[in-house]
Amino acid sequence: MKISLELNGEHVHVDVEPDSLLIDVLREQLGMTGTKEGCGVGVCGACTVLVEGSPVSSCLYLAAMAHEREVWTVEGLTATDPDLADAFVRCEGMQCGICTPGQVVAAAALRRQRPGAGDEEIRQWMSGNLCRCTGYGTILEAVKRYVDGD
Amino acid sequence: MMTGIQEDKGRRVVSAGSGAGRLDARDKATGITRYVADLSVPGALHVAVVRSPVPHAEIVSVDAGLAGRSPGVVGVFTAADIGTPRFGRRVIDSPVLAIGKVRYVGEPVAAVVADTRRHAEEAAALVEVDYRELPVVASAEEAVGGRAAAVHDSPWDYPGAVVSRDDGPNLQSVVRLGDEAATEDALASAAVMVDSLYTTAAGHQGYLEPQGCVAQVEPDGRVEVWINNKSPYRLVTQLATSLSLDPKRIVVHPLPIGGDFGGKGSPMAAPLCVSLSRLTGRPCRLVLRYSEDLTSTNPRHPTTMRVRIGADEDGRLVALRFDSLADGGAYAAFKPTASVNLHGLVEAGSPYRIPRRYIESRIAYTTTVPKGHARAPGAPQATFAVESAMDELAARLGMDPVELRRRNVLRDGDPNPDGIVWAEARGRQVIDAALGALKPKPVPPGWLYGWGLSLYDRATAPGQTSLRLRDDSRGAGVVAEVPIPETGTGNHTVVREGLARLLGVDRSEVRVVHVSTSDLPGDAGVGGSRVTASLSEAVERAAAAWRSRTDGQPVVVTLDGADGGTKVTSFSVQIAQVAVDPETGQIRVLEIISALDVADVVNEAAHRMQVDGGAAMGFGFAVLEDLRIEDGQVWAGNLGDFRMPTAHDLPELTTVLVPGGKGVGVLNVKQIGELTNVPTAAAIANAVAAAAGARIRSVPLTAEAVLSAMEASG
Repeated sequence: MKISLELNGEHVHVDVEPDSLLIDVLREQLGMTGTKEGCGVGVCGACTVLVEGSPVSSCLYLAAMAHEREVWTVEGLTATDPDLADAFVRCEGMQCGICTPGQVVAAAALRRQRPGAGDEEIRQWMSGNLCRCTGYGTILEAVKRYVDGD
Repeated sequence: MMTGIQEDKGRRVVSAGSGAGRLDARDKATGITRYVADLSVPGALHVAVVRSPVPHAEIVSVDAGLAGRSPGVVGVFTAADIGTPRFGRRVIDSPVLAIGKVRYVGEPVAAVVADTRRHAEEAAALVEVDYRELPVVASAEEAVGGRAAAVHDSPWDYPGAVVSRDDGPNLQSVVRLGDEAATEDALASAAVMVDSLYTTAAGHQGYLEPQGCVAQVEPDGRVEVWINNKSPYRLVTQLATSLSLDPKRIVVHPLPIGGDFGGKGSPMAAPLCVSLSRLTGRPCRLVLRYSEDLTSTNPRHPTTMRVRIGADEDGRLVALRFDSLADGGAYAAFKPTASVNLHGLVEAGSPYRIPRRYIESRIAYTTTVPKGHARAPGAPQATFAVESAMDELAARLGMDPVELRRRNVLRDGDPNPDGIVWAEARGRQVIDAALGALKPKPVPPGWLYGWGLSLYDRATAPGQTSLRLRDDSRGAGVVAEVPIPETGTGNHTVVREGLARLLGVDRSEVRVVHVSTSDLPGDAGVGGSRVTASLSEAVERAAAAWRSRTDGQPVVVTLDGADGGTKVTSFSVQIAQVAVDPETGQIRVLEIISALDVADVVNEAAHRMQVDGGAAMGFGFAVLEDLRIEDGQVWAGNLGDFRMPTAHDLPELTTVLVPGGKGVGVLNVKQIGELTNVPTAAAIANAVAAAAGARIRSVPLTAEAVLSAMEASG
């Protein structure tokens, strides 16, 4: 089946299977490998993308459901808003980096949906994104910096 | 960044904006960094693995007829096709595809190669395997109990085996260390003794990037491998041995690694992908699904430990006897050490002066997933046991458990139980630093409060590595070619920092490039917290050669890893504050204080993440993580069931650095990666005992165990 979506601000058409997952279409058909597959069951958050401004686990989300919707990945979000990647770079909010795109996308969603979020709200919001390396401290600082617009 | 940070609560990221930040940060934050799963290798075929659903069985037949006719399938292969190679890091006992028998749920039996991953996975579900089941050997205790089936007919015959027929049928390794009779005598005459049994569960390393590999065998026999393996030079040797290849014709290409924690040092899927590429003539790609990684790679050894520790009336330790039995699973292939044992187990009691110590560490074959290295192999287990026993001993003595440690921790000049005298021994200072940071936290009404302390020490030892410096053809600067993958610890940034400092140039003039295995002489791989120490030594020598060169030619330095330098250890002391609900037994960890013996810190943010990430992992090991291996099967087969800490789960993490330590190399560094994940479980268990009078001797610590222990103690 053919679907069309607004991907990172550009109109794209793509031919997918009815059961294709959004993550596979993004990575394999559209070349957006910034979105990572971790757990594959919607727990770790590495595959987080924005659909209509809300974070979703693209490993659970059918590509067909993105038809005529707006999808943003880490590539598009950081290209259009330099502050987003800057916050993570300046706070060194990563180590191995495999969870980082998901953390970045979750941070973007937080600023859109809860501008001015406080520390505890940030911690709650970011709990959908696992990180095994860092102990979360620098990630939460990066998110705070971004949400505060520093 | 050289800093003398005394107390770093309320720490700032001092490197922000200073240019000392990570060199991989921007690519990682924007999704540009390409990991193994992101590669597009032209013409690559996709592999799906048919895995055993039973723990122990003979393979009666494999029917691949239907699978072979499935859309997109190029072939379905078994040991009958690839031959019967085995691989291993030391003991070469693991088949690439099962040879006649399966020995764990998840063992690869057949491989489907197809044009897409979807086609490969769909066809794999159609492969029919007929099994004749054999008796399950579900635990290490069963394996050595005398009535168990033999997991392998003659394990002593595998290349690299360290056991003999006399050791009995189901042992991978046994290490006996010390004078048994003298230790028993000392225990028998000790004024006070504790004799307790402790157990720890199996846990996955928890890297979020599953293991993956692409391999290509060229028509001329050259082998190219792309893999998230942390020891690429060792992989070359292992592959050559396993598949009878010329190591000079194997190239492992550089890739970043999406988390390791000890789990990505085996050959992983490389022997399979190389074998399949040989058969198909095409590049073959296998990236595990996370559930496959959780259930069939090489998790941490579940371990049972009996600790007998004695002291005189004044609380001076007189002897320690430590008997451990670990479940090594179906194959020993995933342990790299010469003894095929775990350092942490055979070093039990290392922070203390103990006149007599005897250790027996056995690792058994069972019909469960093979076990491997996980961050500080064996140490979280042994430290949980010994540091819990220290608190039990203090209770018997009627002594403050901190005072017991202060009396016995190594001081300058003391030999440790292995006879090593460290350049300095700052255990007391680190204990005092931890205590200095302790400010009791409030607990919810009706909950019980307690805190507990635990202690660990670990050596810093540089290993084998190499480094090349050359002029940057892009500009005025220098290029440093490194053999070590960036696993996330910031090791490439350390090279840039060291070179900039030694050559007196700006960081922007140093470009660090991870190169393939054909480009440098060698490296021992990431592991044992040796990377910063090794690389900084190599950087020092390379910079000296670079400054004195007269011919403009590249400079290559190699470090043989020989242990000739300063003997350095680091003490790690953790205090956990907990609240326990007496109604339910629920434990709430309020704070983990980590006090650490450090020298100079190269990159503060990276150092801090090693500290905090370690404490988070120690917390997960202590209270959450259990693969739940029962009846030969991993039951926690996805990240919903195998629970790792989220940002919300973690307690407050407080770090106190005790600076001024003697480190190694020009950067004066000490290891940091395997200090804070080790003492956590005992610190929490000791805090729970202090709060609720409940001594829990198994991790993960659960509310059920606390409640039943509280009920038992009235």
